[in-house]
Amino acid sequence: MEWLLDVYNYRVVADYLPTFAFGVWRTVWISAVCLAASLILGTGVALMRRADSRLVRAPATVFVEALRGTPLLVQIYLVYYGLPELPLLGRRLDELEGGVLALSVHTSAYMAEIIRAGIGSVSRGQSEGAMSVGMTRWQTLRYVVLPQAFSNAVPPVLGQTAVLIKDSSLLSIIAVFETMSAGLRLMSDRYMPNEGFLTSAACYLAIYAVMLVVSNAVQRRLGGTG
Amino acid sequence: MELLQQHLPFLLSGLWMTVRITLLGIAFGTALGAVVGVGRALGPKPVIWLLGAYIHLWRGTPFLCQIYIVYFVLPRTGVGWLQFEAFEAAVVALTIYSSSYIAEIVRAAIEAVPSGQREGALSVGMSPGQTLRYVVAPQAMRMVLPPLGGVYVIMVKVTAVLSVIGTSELVRQANLAIQRDPSNIMPIFLIVAVLYFLFCYPILRLTQWAERRYGGLHLEA
Repeated sequence: MEWLLDVYNYRVVADYLPTFAFGVWRTVWISAVCLAASLILGTGVALMRRADSRLVRAPATVFVEALRGTPLLVQIYLVYYGLPELPLLGRRLDELEGGVLALSVHTSAYMAEIIRAGIGSVSRGQSEGAMSVGMTRWQTLRYVVLPQAFSNAVPPVLGQTAVLIKDSSLLSIIAVFETMSAGLRLMSDRYMPNEGFLTSAACYLAIYAVMLVVSNAVQRRLGGTG
Repeated sequence: MELLQQHLPFLLSGLWMTVRITLLGIAFGTALGAVVGVGRALGPKPVIWLLGAYIHLWRGTPFLCQIYIVYFVLPRTGVGWLQFEAFEAAVVALTIYSSSYIAEIVRAAIEAVPSGQREGALSVGMSPGQTLRYVVAPQAMRMVLPPLGGVYVIMVKVTAVLSVIGTSELVRQANLAIQRDPSNIMPIFLIVAVLYFLFCYPILRLTQWAERRYGGLHLEA
């Protein structure tokens, strides 16, 4: 096993196991928070984009296009450095808050498009039927259209979640501790790029494998070809 | 305005680097992705599995992690041609990253061409190569265009991450500009955001146009 120690010193990695475990835990919960926030914000934006009034539609369109047309890293910098300059916030956002905010807003643009497509896939007859039995517009949306839209949107939302998990690695650049940072720490402590970066990669692959299993199970459950 | 005069030339040199890396990545990534995609769709079982593993390996890890591996880990293998400069590492990482997405698009497009087309071509005596070249590829090509545009936009944006290995692209130049002029962080990053947008938005619109024109291709998430 001596040759392996030269390439990949697993003993050192074993010492750093708690660091990596904490990194993975952080990645998972940052992604979970961003997923929830982006779904809520994304649904709002999707509804705005389907509004009758141009005045409501236009800002939502600008929001989506601006976020999809610029890199996440630049958005993270803008939120992280920019928000404290707003007079509303008395204090500086810490890295974690700024990072989660930027990542949530970024992802919400993609979620908005997914949910908008989901709403579009619910046939008109559904909402016309609901209105004709006397439901209000809100009731139609709440009880008839959105439930079907969300279930249609589940597969692409899962795909976007996999992207979100990988995107969260960028938060290591503004010094949020997560899976990538664990590898970077091993790199900076001992100058061991193989051990640091390959272990981080393995952690991401493990998360990805779990996501694949979950998304296959969900796809089977929803019973379509997806 | 003064701010623009002061920083824009420097930032534009970064944008130029971003454009060069992106174009090289698109060229190599599309070529590699097409080969992998054709192999995935038409190759024998072992090839399909191997290429599947290749694709999952790259899709399962963040681009940031891949750059670190290409730039820091590969040179330690001691192999001469794996000793990359930052620029080469950037192009290599971008090529490999995009190839995994493009391969899946190409595979889906080939599989979307009805199998009767291929069988018909083979039965009239075309070789497998001719079948691919004259029957399958032309039909798959138009389906490939819209999702391919989407990947190209992602590639432009993902080059921002290359700043971490010191490639002097747009974000890196912005960071340097801020070191010289720390009081203008926000305006500088806003200019950077606008420059990226000017680069990405036309591709995004072209993609949407192609999608209306040729129809979307259904891809697994």
